Amino acid sequence: MDLDALKANLKKDFLEIVSQDELNQLKVKYLGKKGQITELSKNIKNLIPKERPIYGKKISELRSLCENLLGSAQEKIEIQIINDSLEKDRIDVTLPGSFKSQGKLHPLTITTKKITDFFSSKGYLIEDGPEIESDYYNFDALNIPKDHPARDMHDTFYLENGNLLRTHTSPVQIRSIEKRGAPLKIICPGKVYRSDADKTHTPMFHQVEGLVISENINFGHLKNEIMTFIDFFFGIDTKVRFRPSYFPFTEPSAEVDIMDKKSKNWLEIMGCGLVHPNVIDMAGLDSKKFSGFAFGMGIERMAKLLYEIEDMRSLFLNDIKFLSQ
Amino acid sequence: MKVLYSKITEAIKAKPKVETLCDDLTLIGIEVDDIKSFQGDKIIDFDLTPNRGDCFSIRGLARDYCAFKGKNFSSVKKASFKGGTKFRKKIKLSAREGCSAYSAVSISNLKEKKKFPENIKRTLKAAGIQSIHPLVDIVNFVMLESGQPMHVFDQDKIVGDIQVRFAKSKEHIKILGEKKLELTKDCLVIADEKEPIAFAGISGSSKHSVSKKTQNFFIESAFFDPSIIKGKARRYGFQTDASQRFERGVDFNLHQDALRYALSLIQEIYHADFSKIDTTKNKYFPKNKIINISLEDINQKLGTDLKENSIKSILNRLEIKMIKKNKFDLTFEVPSHRFDLSIKEDLIEEVARIVGYDNLPQVKNDQVSQNYEKSDYDFLNEIKTFMVSKGFNEVINYSFLDSKALENLGIKNNSISLKNPLNNSLSTLRTSLLPSLATNLEFNINRGQNFLNIFEIGKTFSSASSMETLNIAGITYDDEKFKNWNTDQNYDFFYLKGILEDLFKEFRIKKVSWKKSQNELLHPYASADIFFKNKLIGSVGSINPRFFKSLGLKKAFFYFEIKLESLPRNDLGKLIAPSIYPITQRDFSFEIDNEVSYELVEKCIQTSSKNFFIDVKIFDVYNGKNISDGKKSIAFRVSWGSNKRTLSEEEINKEVKLIISGMQKKFRAILR
Repeated sequence: MDLDALKANLKKDFLEIVSQDELNQLKVKYLGKKGQITELSKNIKNLIPKERPIYGKKISELRSLCENLLGSAQEKIEIQIINDSLEKDRIDVTLPGSFKSQGKLHPLTITTKKITDFFSSKGYLIEDGPEIESDYYNFDALNIPKDHPARDMHDTFYLENGNLLRTHTSPVQIRSIEKRGAPLKIICPGKVYRSDADKTHTPMFHQVEGLVISENINFGHLKNEIMTFIDFFFGIDTKVRFRPSYFPFTEPSAEVDIMDKKSKNWLEIMGCGLVHPNVIDMAGLDSKKFSGFAFGMGIERMAKLLYEIEDMRSLFLNDIKFLSQ
Repeated sequence: MKVLYSKITEAIKAKPKVETLCDDLTLIGIEVDDIKSFQGDKIIDFDLTPNRGDCFSIRGLARDYCAFKGKNFSSVKKASFKGGTKFRKKIKLSAREGCSAYSAVSISNLKEKKKFPENIKRTLKAAGIQSIHPLVDIVNFVMLESGQPMHVFDQDKIVGDIQVRFAKSKEHIKILGEKKLELTKDCLVIADEKEPIAFAGISGSSKHSVSKKTQNFFIESAFFDPSIIKGKARRYGFQTDASQRFERGVDFNLHQDALRYALSLIQEIYHADFSKIDTTKNKYFPKNKIINISLEDINQKLGTDLKENSIKSILNRLEIKMIKKNKFDLTFEVPSHRFDLSIKEDLIEEVARIVGYDNLPQVKNDQVSQNYEKSDYDFLNEIKTFMVSKGFNEVINYSFLDSKALENLGIKNNSISLKNPLNNSLSTLRTSLLPSLATNLEFNINRGQNFLNIFEIGKTFSSASSMETLNIAGITYDDEKFKNWNTDQNYDFFYLKGILEDLFKEFRIKKVSWKKSQNELLHPYASADIFFKNKLIGSVGSINPRFFKSLGLKKAFFYFEIKLESLPRNDLGKLIAPSIYPITQRDFSFEIDNEVSYELVEKCIQTSSKNFFIDVKIFDVYNGKNISDGKKSIAFRVSWGSNKRTLSEEEINKEVKLIISGMQKKFRAILR
């Protein structure tokens, strides 16, 4: 057989192979000890010396062609084998995933975190205190003496041991001033309790309260802090108003309202004011030297606005369908 | 306080729209709760803050409104009244500042001159005040208008002269509405020669009150000091229109004018014989308060730059008059109706109110900085995030529950009860988070949930030791019938334990050990107590089936609860570079007695092979086929390594032999 005919056969053979066996056979057929290329190469010694290099070159070209074809056929077959095996792994991809591993934080935790993250980033220290409080920390130290009508504003739960469940997070302010002195910049999230239950009140709820004490704090500082917070929490296009109010522990006192973007109604979101000098003095600082501002908000109310929750009580039902949204 | 819109417009001599009026009042701190239609008029319900006693009347509201608007306002309706005979009873004021001024008048031979005015009836009805007797209605009407509560007695029931004094110990009075009170020595009373005829400033006695049959009337209009009235009615669980006003403070100069106004109204409607108004005062009668303040005080607190003249005129609008000034201070006199103004800051608020809070400047404040400290709150949030990553949903429950729930679980000891719970189901502070979580579980199962992983971080309360303890607790539950279609994972003891082990690892908490649980809530053989540095910090396991019924559940669930206070807050310390030399591992499988715990096996391995030991990991525990009775097979993989070199085959073989002989000696374990 001449070289050209062999080359033609070779190409044709490789076109047709589909299995590893056929490939192995072709390898033997052309490159084996008695393979056709091997056989042809033996002819070289019968040629005159002048023709030998030309013939030799042709044979080696043929051999490398064959090896290339073998190589690419091998690759093709291997891919084919993998593809065949993959078919066996066929699954129904529309079946649900087997492991749902992520839980959810409670909406109140998320809301609290959104608030505390803001104030943390502004350098506030996060503080907490006991939920069972004494009359002193919950009322007296906050300038709400016994028989003060303001105690009516707090429907207090009293305990049989004479203590009470704190009605606001403000006692933490006093405890922090006593512990850390001034200057002070704290934010206190926590549970508080009032004897009240309806669509907008639950007997336990959460508050966040902030306090800044230093020399020469003024009402403008308070306004600035609140405005920046509202920009962050409700968006910069939120309409805000400050109006006078009354808390025994601040003077002047203010209530902050934002305008609901849909209903155009004013919604009360927090109370604030300059810390009453009596409170500063009672906590052991000199009100002639130090002044401060404080603000506090109900987290349920903020969550209500954030998530458009209608009934406050749904926050404490712990229905997984509600919580896992 | 409910007031007719038309009464306010009449008092302010202007007719703004009801919404505009309410908005303006809100901006000066008088909050409007509600506006309702009423017989072609509106009833505005005000939510007055306790400091503003001066606004507890129609004219009080109008006065503040006019000050804000810069309008003129005459504070009291002046009325003319002339009485005839001398008032015959003697009035003695023996309660020092408790009552320092008392005006009285007596009326007899009442005959109707004209029909009782509709205007008065409507005003009372709108305010929610019941019509009792024409004279009482008139004094109540004057109270609504002026803020001065007055009281009408049946004069014939009064024995002898009148004394205003403190109650004697255990003195009794039956007040209007037939409620009998036992008074204490700090209660102020109006008494005749026999007994108290009124709980002063709060309520008259029912015995001395007027009825249709009353012939001779006696009207009281007095000044009672707020500090004496404060909280007294509340102490007995009630409030009256009078007590609410007196405890906030009623203008001490008002009693005569208000009485005169009431009498002029009576004269318009009735023919009657009137005595002269008799006013008794003692030396404790209050003087107007004086407040010294500097311009700097005001501007510094408000961040403003107001001049003396504008401050003077702002305060003047509120009838706060500047009476003196020197180099440092301006001296202001507070009007007799403002009990809430006593210190500088109070005047500063008044200035701010009239300027308008929204008109005050915003000032940037960068001066206060606080050293950063990692707070407990951050730690709790990290734990919450960890639990969420493990597939747990966070729940938040009330801190109080039904004491029965605790009793049923045998965890009522040392629980703290509320004195005034909202209802029985919220009467006791929880001693454990379990009952709340079990309630959540029951609730969700009833709503068709087949799997539940929930956790809560919250305080538990106990009258013993430190009162409140911060705990984390979780529940895991699955219904095997509805198991996820291709998972073998059981929500069981080891599932929860694995999560807790991971939690301890995540927060770098070492020295945790697990022992068979002594917790009576839990299954005695399938639960563990958790110890940190040999101190009990919590438990994990399945609930003892004997509690299923009281928890309203039918089948087992797994639960853990850990005291978070006991755990250290470890920061991530130095990071250690792992060895670059290879690790060698060998697998072992032993047959040993069933009773031998894995903990003992692990200890035995650790003490047997001390050199190059890295760790041991169990990968199989098996009883059954090919294992003798009372025995089990356990299989584990041990790893060794060095950070100095690659270990030789001989070194490893030596360690392997040590483990095998150690296991044989200690447990007579057979290598399989």
